[in-house]
Amino acid sequence: MNEQHREILRMLAEGRITAGEAEQLIDALEREQPASKPRPKYLRVVVKWEDEFGDGPGRVNVRVPLQLLRAGVRLTSLVPPQALAKANAELDRSGIPIDLARLKPEHLEELVEHLDDLTVDVDETDAKVRVFCE
Amino acid sequence: MMPQLVTYRQRRRDGRWLRLYVPVVPLALLLSPLLLVAAVAVLVACLVFRIGPVRALGGAGRLLWALPGIRFEIEQGATVVLVHIT
Repeated sequence: MNEQHREILRMLAEGRITAGEAEQLIDALEREQPASKPRPKYLRVVVKWEDEFGDGPGRVNVRVPLQLLRAGVRLTSLVPPQALAKANAELDRSGIPIDLARLKPEHLEELVEHLDDLTVDVDETDAKVRVFCE
Repeated sequence: MMPQLVTYRQRRRDGRWLRLYVPVVPLALLLSPLLLVAAVAVLVACLVFRIGPVRALGGAGRLLWALPGIRFEIEQGATVVLVHIT
């Protein structure tokens, strides 16, 4: 549900519009919105660089299924509590006060879900990095 | 879907290609005695670290099933290495 749908429901709940008007508004919204684009399946990392003096130009192209990221973050729930406690102590000692025990797999999954819209472009004179979902 | 084939391709400096196609299921069958030993070791590790073996198995299975589609290519000058899991 997007923000516009939520706004219509809020107006309905507040009694500012009737159920019929809410239905008309939702119908109008759905007519306006184009067909939803397919969800990305892969995270892609492309790095290109120029090396005039060494072995010549290079390129790295990595494609990782987003499903693999989801499966990976679910594995975090298997980390034993004593390992988390040790990691927390080390992080704390390094000046990073993060409690990993409070980081739940569902939070990480939410993060992966929102990677869909991620695009990172780094342009240097002799190198380019591009991270995106496709 | 479980991984079926791992493809490894390498172009050497002299321009010749090395191609390796590794069928996963036959290889797993061939290595099944070793995999059985590894499974017992994992089970013991789960009990030692108090992790549910069923949850660990489920997690590992999900990870394995998500592997198809991985593609890794690196190119530097005349050398190219490509790894693809299907």
